[in-house]
Amino acid sequence: MNTTLTTCPYCGTGCNFYLLHDDIGQLTGLEPAANHPVTRGQLCVKGWNAHAFVGHPDRLQTPLIRKNGQLQPTDWQTALDLLHDKLRTIATRQGPDSLMFLSSAKVSNEENYLLMKLARAGYGTNNIDHCARLCHSSTVTGLVETLGSGAMTNSLSCFAETDLIFVIGSNTTEQHPLIGSRILQAVQQGAQLIVADSRRIRLSQHADLHLRHQNGSDIALLNGMMRHISQEGLEDRTFITQRTENFSALQQALEPFTPEYVATITGLSSQQIMDAARLFAEADRAMIVYAMGITQHSHGVDNVRAVSNLALLTGNLGRPGTGINPLRGQNNVQGACDMGALPDVYTGYQRVADPQIREKFSAAWGVPLPETPGQMSTHAIEAAAAGKLCGMLVLGENPVVSDANQTLVYQAFEKLDFLAVIDIFMTETAQLADLVLPAACYAERDGTFTSTERRVQRGRKAVEPPGQARADWQIIAELLRRCGLKGDYTDPAEIMNEIASLTPSYGGIEYSRLEGEGLQWPCSDNTDPGTPILHTRTCTRGKGHFSPVTYRPPQEMPDLEFPLLLNTGRTAFHWHTGSMTRRSHLLDREERQAFVEINPTDAEKYQLAERQQLKVTSRRGSVSVRARLTERVPPGQVFIPFHFAESAANVLTNNALDPESGIPEFKVCAVRIEAC
Amino acid sequence: MLKQLDRADIDHLLDSLHTAYRLQIPQQLPDGTRHLSPYTPTSVLSLSGEIVHRKPTSFFFPQVQKLVSIDPTGHARDLQKVEKPLALFGLNRADLMGIQFLDRFFLAAPADDIYLSLRQDALLIGLTGFSGPDKSFLPLSTGNCDIELVALAGHWLALGHSTIGKKLLDPYARGLNSELEELRQRDENSSGDLELLQQASHLLMNDLVPDSFWAEIAGRCILCSGCNMVCPTCSCFCVQDRCFEETTERSRVWDSCQFDAFMREASGHNPLGTEALRTRRRIHHKLAADIERWGEPGCVACGRCDRSCPTGIGMMAVAGEIVKRYGAGRR
Ligand code: SF4
Ligand code: SF4
Repeated sequence: MNTTLTTCPYCGTGCNFYLLHDDIGQLTGLEPAANHPVTRGQLCVKGWNAHAFVGHPDRLQTPLIRKNGQLQPTDWQTALDLLHDKLRTIATRQGPDSLMFLSSAKVSNEENYLLMKLARAGYGTNNIDHCARLCHSSTVTGLVETLGSGAMTNSLSCFAETDLIFVIGSNTTEQHPLIGSRILQAVQQGAQLIVADSRRIRLSQHADLHLRHQNGSDIALLNGMMRHISQEGLEDRTFITQRTENFSALQQALEPFTPEYVATITGLSSQQIMDAARLFAEADRAMIVYAMGITQHSHGVDNVRAVSNLALLTGNLGRPGTGINPLRGQNNVQGACDMGALPDVYTGYQRVADPQIREKFSAAWGVPLPETPGQMSTHAIEAAAAGKLCGMLVLGENPVVSDANQTLVYQAFEKLDFLAVIDIFMTETAQLADLVLPAACYAERDGTFTSTERRVQRGRKAVEPPGQARADWQIIAELLRRCGLKGDYTDPAEIMNEIASLTPSYGGIEYSRLEGEGLQWPCSDNTDPGTPILHTRTCTRGKGHFSPVTYRPPQEMPDLEFPLLLNTGRTAFHWHTGSMTRRSHLLDREERQAFVEINPTDAEKYQLAERQQLKVTSRRGSVSVRARLTERVPPGQVFIPFHFAESAANVLTNNALDPESGIPEFKVCAVRIEAC
Repeated sequence: MLKQLDRADIDHLLDSLHTAYRLQIPQQLPDGTRHLSPYTPTSVLSLSGEIVHRKPTSFFFPQVQKLVSIDPTGHARDLQKVEKPLALFGLNRADLMGIQFLDRFFLAAPADDIYLSLRQDALLIGLTGFSGPDKSFLPLSTGNCDIELVALAGHWLALGHSTIGKKLLDPYARGLNSELEELRQRDENSSGDLELLQQASHLLMNDLVPDSFWAEIAGRCILCSGCNMVCPTCSCFCVQDRCFEETTERSRVWDSCQFDAFMREASGHNPLGTEALRTRRRIHHKLAADIERWGEPGCVACGRCDRSCPTGIGMMAVAGEIVKRYGAGRR
């Protein structure tokens, strides 16, 4: 039995395990790394099953070209020539900005770097983005403004050193299970726990205070807590004076948020709001943990600002056991952002709009670079649907199932002149493509991933890819070569050296230093041990900036016609659009089909029964799902996971976008339910 | 006859085994995980430390195991033949008990032929005595292996428990029975874990643990399935079929009784439909049902589930909690 140490392909926690493989190159299981600082010999259920989809018969094995309406096998040379030719022709005829590149939080840092280089230097457009747009774009925008860095401020080890954990909008035991378990352990050790989530998630059973506030009312809740903290004199005066700016503006903005007013918006009692405020402020070291419940709103950036304000107000920043801890969903969503797979920045968040930065990259890559920042992926979908985009290259993403308002996404892809998809399975998006290229999966290629705590870690190749499938970096390198750029990288380590040379926060990242526990960026040079906690003496931007916000309701609230609030998200057993987990036997068996969680009170009101097949309709479409009657959701709210393409929750969701981050409002829209 | 080996003798023994066997010896993986890995003349043998992380039973019953491969004409293809038998070196008492437990399950008539094919000529070599973490003492085996090496300060006593084991030890020098006797004395005093399990088992079998306890423990379970994955006596598997272009393959895959779908019926009804019931079953099966069926618990106290459970509700932790809460004065 051979063993290869690698990083889990699922969530951003960053667990490591050994893939076990036999002499004929087949995976026979995996074993958690016993001494790895994050893993400690433990994995979640997805981790324990991460080998299962790798050898699945559905893996794509040959390049496919659409001929007479059918995708047909072809060879790599033909496929790559065609791809380059199409992209080049569109860039020449319709202009580079009529192209869009979608990178992926599932591919390595090196691959993200190469794809953004390809878009910018190869085809001359900043139109590159990836699914962080749908998850933490609000965080990046919000925290860059208030602190200067959009990343999780603290480390996972901090959960063992905290007095209080405030979880808002994160179902941590299901979505980041090995972080959820650290929270449960902290509670066992005596830490206090506040959970703000409308659903009765597992963590709420262990909470000192469970606040089931109305979806989308987070700003009211947070402002209300902050106002009460100030009223009671519980703020951290020293921290505010020494480390922050704009405090008086915050105070003014908080004024209207009396407990009574907040109670009317959130559905909580004013006492609960005051209790939460006091509990939080009295803790010496408090961590705020959040995820999609904060970010996926049409006011997602404002939500993040409010979270940041609360941490600054109470001085919970820059020390062990404190901090603003946005949990990254995908195993490399942090890295994909770090690598500049975003329309406005190069690697390490260096701005495209800054002429000096542009000059640096232009000199390194040997070509002039486009000046105007590119389009966000969500705007690109709108542009494509309006016929304003011509070609798209999608790397390892499945927007047809993952993006809000599926009808619009279909329209967008249908209007494109040319769509190419690189993936490991024939996803719903790949089915629409003119060209499909088969990629190696995580177990079949080398590279690095950056976890939610900014830990850059190795992914290692254990087995060969199926058929003719190739590593993404090799595919992109072929296109770079065709664009006249450097394409002869011998391995991802060489690509990382190029990244390090251009990226101050990754300056000290090199493969030889990643053999042990990895390195947490910022890591400026090869003597820098990395940075477990950000903003220790000053914030990245200097002073912590209070950015006052005011409450505005979600864009579409329940009404007479659509009386229920739809919340969407994931389950513990499946991953996003299900292309991997639905092909993993045990995970698939656990949750086979889409369901809708309905509170028994609503079920009675609408006369719906357990396991009944139901039709759920929003202003944008209908899906058929099975009823699951449960107290997990409060009356008036229903929840549908978005994994199941055949009953895609995103047929229903609202593509109302946050004006700054472009994130859709996945967490709130209005629906009605009837028997099928 | 009791033998004695020094460090060079161990190398000699391993070297002599590896031509005839697929020899696996404890080694440190890159992050320090202690693992039974293939022997090569340059392998660095780890002669003391934590119990090997991957359960040794996984060599006979791996996480994914091909059962049959069917060609397009509907005929079963031969599975890859096992070329050489396995030899597992470095098993402690709990691991040997685990293998014995699984043998009874898979080899009871009619024997599971895939398990049998891997197990029948396999050689088991125990490693006990001062070979735990920081050379702490590990109790001696019950003789359920071919060879047992008992670590002392600078040498190893070697017991041949089977005919082949005795033969393999032939070339080595005699050991001192007095040294072994001294260790056996010590042995009897070192079974705290097993006693705890017995107490918990007694409480369970007498129905003295209320449902509210299971609801509370289950509330901490994050459904990772790790406790089952690492357990050397867990034998549950499910069957997975995969249709490739040229073949259809049927494999068995480790299952977990913590899953909702483990017992869920096609109708959707589930006799173990709550986490509390499933958590109760996990513990009850090992500490009550197995005793009724086999006369001994299904837990060999290897400690793996306690290590792999992210929320601290492995077997020993739960047994400890049961005894603490419901045990006083009840026996
Ligand atoms: S917690 Fe996340 S990284 Fe860890 S095993 Fe589970 S999915 Fe993988
Ligand atoms: S290891 Fe712990 S958390 Fe995981 S399934 Fe078992 S009892 Fe539950």
